[in-house]
Amino acid sequence: MLWLWVVLGVVVLLVVLAVVGYNRLVRLRNEAKTGWANVDVQLERRGDLIPNLVEAVRGYAAHERGVFEEVTKARSALREAATPAAAGEANDILSAALGRLFAVAENYPDLKASANFLSLQDDLTDTEDKISAARRYYNSTVMHYNTGIQSLPWVLVARPLGFREKEFFSAEGDTAVPQVSFTPAT
Amino acid sequence: MTLQQQIRRNRLRSTIVVFGFVLLLGVVAGLIGAVLDLRLGVVALLGAGLYAIFALVNSRRMVAGMTHAQEIGPDQLRPLRRLVENVSIAAGLPVTPDVRVVDDPAPNAFAAGVRPRTSYIGVTTGLLRVMPQRELEAVLGHEVSHIRNRDTYLMTMATIFAGVIALIADIGFRMILYGGGRSRRGGGALVAILAVVGLLLAPYAALLLRMSLSRRREFLADAGSAELLDDPEAMGLALRRLQLDTTTIAYADASVAHLWVESPTSRVESERRGVLALSSLFDTHPPLEQRIAALEESGGFHVPAEVPPDTPFAAELGLV
Repeated sequence: MLWLWVVLGVVVLLVVLAVVGYNRLVRLRNEAKTGWANVDVQLERRGDLIPNLVEAVRGYAAHERGVFEEVTKARSALREAATPAAAGEANDILSAALGRLFAVAENYPDLKASANFLSLQDDLTDTEDKISAARRYYNSTVMHYNTGIQSLPWVLVARPLGFREKEFFSAEGDTAVPQVSFTPAT
Repeated sequence: MTLQQQIRRNRLRSTIVVFGFVLLLGVVAGLIGAVLDLRLGVVALLGAGLYAIFALVNSRRMVAGMTHAQEIGPDQLRPLRRLVENVSIAAGLPVTPDVRVVDDPAPNAFAAGVRPRTSYIGVTTGLLRVMPQRELEAVLGHEVSHIRNRDTYLMTMATIFAGVIALIADIGFRMILYGGGRSRRGGGALVAILAVVGLLLAPYAALLLRMSLSRRREFLADAGSAELLDDPEAMGLALRRLQLDTTTIAYADASVAHLWVESPTSRVESERRGVLALSSLFDTHPPLEQRIAALEESGGFHVPAEVPPDTPFAAELGLV
């Protein structure tokens, strides 16, 4: 009789552990999804600023067609990027193209002084800061999620249960979240 | 130890502390019930619960009043708002907290609010006039970490619990002293003595718990800021700058001392510290030196003893 209770207790304990563990993985996956949505919002915002910026520069430097095309192409490549890694790459290409656009703008003092251009430039810088902030959050959620499904015992069942590892979103060749060692000096 | 382990350990500890509070509340109410009257114990427990709910609902307004934080219009101080937005995005907060400004020359900041959605960050004008952008961001990261880690929630709860326990213990103690002590349910002297000891100790235990909760969370919020900005050195430099500054907050209200990034009353307290070694247990904040040392250890850098003045963020806001 006693054995029966012990076995029953162990089974109940295992079920509870499995449920808690599974829910944790689901929560981590949802956090990573939200993290990516945050990055996506900012990437979209950046993309939305670009047509106005191109128009502003075109008004002063219509003949610099090559640069405009490059920027427009990089923008649509970013729109079509399906995975975080591809989006990261497309975002880098867009940054490079925008760098050349601003280099062109340097040659037109009137353009540089125009209120419209200045406010666009300000918005763009702000959006880039926000992309970088959202990237840091997304990468840390991905790290937790990936660690979760790579550790025992979940590494054995994560795949059949539909938990796939997620990609980091890296920009300008930097690496993912650094592991900072931290001990309070108490 | 990694940052993640540290965060997990701190979360566990604060859960234990909160359970400790609930237990303490139960013990105090139980003692009142055993010594005086069972009904009185129940009434005390119910009253405490109601008071706690009332205080929670009004905490936002109470804190704003006690810290003299002013709301700012939607178009004012946009660069400051942007910094708060960026730090909140890095922390993954669902919404960006409001920013409020305290007109005070002492550099300091705090976070308040029960839920992330209703939280706000207060900064003093002194902070804006002293900190360059990089370090201001680190301080904002510290406050956003408090919100993300639900510290503001926990600290509000802790403040309320501590107040509740002290109130009940006080009432109970007076009742025992002035004739309530005739134990009707036997047990007599021993129970009464235990009750008196319990009622005397409970307020102090509550205070201690509140302080330890807040102190540990300062280390955690420093680490959180370092992680959010990927820049532990900025937080270290900001703390050094706060340490070197000698202005103190004009309206230092002791009951909200634990909310600020740097203890607003610490300089007065440190003079008293020599008297009693135990008093360091009652400080709301760990010494800045210890906090800087913790960051140095985690990031492998050294914060110089003197930080040169830098262009303050106030210049960007046109406040100088």
